[in-house]
Amino acid sequence: MLTTQARPTTGEILLGGRSVWDDLAGARRRIGVVPQHNNLDRSLTARENLLFHARYFGLPLGESARSTDEWLQRLHLHARADDPVAGFSGGMAQRLKIARALMHDPEILFLDEPTTGLDPQSRTLLWEEIKRLNQNGTTIFLTTHYMEEPDQLADRVAIINHGEIKGLDTPAGLKKLVPGQNVVSLELDEVNDSLLAEAIALPGVADLTVEMNTVRLFMRGASPDLGAIVAWVHRRGRTLVGLNLQLSTLNDAFIHLTGRGLEDR
Amino acid sequence: MSAFFAMVQRDLVVTKRNFWNFAYRVAMLPLVFIFVFGFVLPNIGQVPDTFPTLMFGGVLAMSVMVAGLHGVGIPLILDFGVSREIEDRLLAPAGPATVAYAKMVIGVLEAWLGGLIVLPLAWAIMGADLTVRLENLAYAVPVLLLAGLTSASLGLLLGTIFKPSQIPAMFPGFLIPMVLLGPTFFAWPSLENLRWVQMLVLVNPLVYVSEAFRAILTPEVPHMALGYSLLGTAVSTMVMAWVGIRRFIRMAIQ
Repeated sequence: MLTTQARPTTGEILLGGRSVWDDLAGARRRIGVVPQHNNLDRSLTARENLLFHARYFGLPLGESARSTDEWLQRLHLHARADDPVAGFSGGMAQRLKIARALMHDPEILFLDEPTTGLDPQSRTLLWEEIKRLNQNGTTIFLTTHYMEEPDQLADRVAIINHGEIKGLDTPAGLKKLVPGQNVVSLELDEVNDSLLAEAIALPGVADLTVEMNTVRLFMRGASPDLGAIVAWVHRRGRTLVGLNLQLSTLNDAFIHLTGRGLEDR
Repeated sequence: MSAFFAMVQRDLVVTKRNFWNFAYRVAMLPLVFIFVFGFVLPNIGQVPDTFPTLMFGGVLAMSVMVAGLHGVGIPLILDFGVSREIEDRLLAPAGPATVAYAKMVIGVLEAWLGGLIVLPLAWAIMGADLTVRLENLAYAVPVLLLAGLTSASLGLLLGTIFKPSQIPAMFPGFLIPMVLLGPTFFAWPSLENLRWVQMLVLVNPLVYVSEAFRAILTPEVPHMALGYSLLGTAVSTMVMAWVGIRRFIRMAIQ
């Protein structure tokens, strides 16, 4: 809906105080859209994809050619500029989609899961470019399932579950919503319900989550008593496979806010 | 307006790049029909010598129709259903209706190009047996214009109806019945002894195009009066284009 591809059945989308549906053409000039799927024009080359996009947006030819060259260089695509995009790798296609969305110099760039399926190198390159764009004044609207991305990149994060905003704040603000900010991760040889029932009652434990055989205990206060926790594990006759103390993450905030914790088991 | 021309140009670039594929797709079906019905059958005495003249207008009309509807319809089905390449154009400030109009222009151009490719082939294979009298040639311009638009609007309509998985079924389920009842191998007035068939085929827009082609190319073949075939072409084009564009916009903005 925000990218003007679907009309809202209720509510309103305002851009600069004006409904996007009152001035669809104007709104579309101000936004750039990078969908998750590859919707590049596979019959054209990389350069033609950018040039035609510029012309669909009514940009003058000279300016289009200049910004095409500039974006191809900036996103490391110039060596393949005149190749058909049908043979591009996932990372190259993703970069070209971003370059295309930026051709008409939008104020807001929508990136839908831009790093899904990318190798670490391409992912780092994209992150750097996203940061640079944002520093130069482009608002980035990023959707992702990887919580480290908003943690590193975002000023403001909305956690959405089943179409509903469960939390909206800075990454630090959202992490503060987690009951205990110090998290003890215990990897055990086996986890069962009676063990968990006992764990939640341990002194200082505010909440817990479980993933496979790892229990994450959210601890109240500044320095959790690791010794007491380790002693309890031994008393229960379980083997400790791994132990880790860290601050709560955006992932924890997500699980806390969407309620995908203990009650889902 | 510049967005519209860019969209037309994009499709022309792609057609030019794939020209031999395009030519093969456009020429093969008419070529087989022309060879079998316009050359083999008359030469072995299975049909009269006048048969090539009877089918000439029909086979050209069919070539124009199939070239345009294929050029618009199949890419749209694949675009909306699989590749989604069209999204960049649909998100342009000009809006989805502009994309639909650009697609129709391409359909008209490809329809004409289809006819232009088949015409010399038909002439080369059946020329000796053809009796062509171009006395209504003044009507060629409106007939060609309307034929192109009919083909493009049918392509637009089909492109918004069929799903990619249904493309294989389109050939036996839609294209062949449309072509054979076009009527490619008989003239519409000759159906008067099968009145219900004569009435039924009037839903087929190709009937009007074929009859109009017969009227301007082979007037001695009994044909629907040119006024009626032009009217039928115009009305079916308007209906198909209107429905096609509405469906197209609905698919572009949900």
